[in-house]
Amino acid sequence: MTFEDWFRTDRLPHIYCAGCGNGTIINCTLAAIDQMSWKKEETVFISGIGCSSRAPGYIVTDSLHTTHGRALAFATGVKMANPALNVVIFTGDGDLAAIGGNHFIHACRRNIDLTVVCMNNQIYGMTGGQGSPTTPKGCLSTTTPYGCSEPPFDLCELAIAAGANYVARWTSYHVKELEKAVRAGLETPGFSFIEAMTQCPTNFGRRNKFKQVADQVDYLKTHGVLRAKRERMIEQGEKIPEDLFVIGELMRRNRPAMGVKP
Amino acid sequence: MKLAIDETRCKGCNLCTKVCPYKIFKEGNKPNRKGIVVPELDRPERCANCRLQHLYGRTLCGVCQLTCPDQAIHWVEEQPYEPKKVAIEY
Repeated sequence: MTFEDWFRTDRLPHIYCAGCGNGTIINCTLAAIDQMSWKKEETVFISGIGCSSRAPGYIVTDSLHTTHGRALAFATGVKMANPALNVVIFTGDGDLAAIGGNHFIHACRRNIDLTVVCMNNQIYGMTGGQGSPTTPKGCLSTTTPYGCSEPPFDLCELAIAAGANYVARWTSYHVKELEKAVRAGLETPGFSFIEAMTQCPTNFGRRNKFKQVADQVDYLKTHGVLRAKRERMIEQGEKIPEDLFVIGELMRRNRPAMGVKP
Repeated sequence: MKLAIDETRCKGCNLCTKVCPYKIFKEGNKPNRKGIVVPELDRPERCANCRLQHLYGRTLCGVCQLTCPDQAIHWVEEQPYEPKKVAIEY
């Protein structure tokens, strides 16, 4: 059995733009779920609104496509009503950090046994490229035409501070590592948060000097710095450039969790 | 087993040309019926990871399949070896 068995093949090809990284992240997540030997009847995918949140529509299991930002609220209800279900949430950066920010920190605080895969494309892709809470400083979007002047959200730091049990960040270039991180997140009891940085060629790359899809993938590849390397750089007193972001497993701990499978 | 591209799903993003360690995927140059330039396969039987899958009973590399955002890459069974007649110019 491979991860391709989890797709609704009659719905493919999906509507994502050419070169969009969301399809890659769906592949990695499904490959990790496939290794867990879960039954399709006992797995639920939940999503909010946005490009990333169309993902459960292409997956053969039961799914909930909910209101904007409320994916985690619905998922909390599903998990607490029937803890035997395996709940996986696909969400985007605007869905999770801007509109659903409150649900996010409270789901982390309660430490419910959910796995959240956040496809962070650093922009509101579906509605036409408005700046989101994770748009990096100086990047252009339709609502920040002179460059974003606000500092962005670091979602992983937020999840760690709010109390999630497993936090990791990878990019859509690191497919095998992302698959392993999702697998570790699914195995961890309690809230696990995997942030996957992804490319958005249509709305982010086009305005930010990434003419080709590969340019932005190269950017993600070269600007992600492993956690161990970053700590080494801090020890040696090197200055870390502002545009680097940390990748790797950032937190693994055993806080008491809610709704764990009996 | 060798690689194959599903032309009905491919959107021509050429991400597969970046990740394959054997450089099997090459950028195409002719648009197909939908107007999409699908990558070409350069001797896909060269990939040792694909060919040894039956022996090991699992996917060995599979990065191209995981990376493809449109789920267009899959494996097909290879035809048994057939001797070919080659014309040599000298």
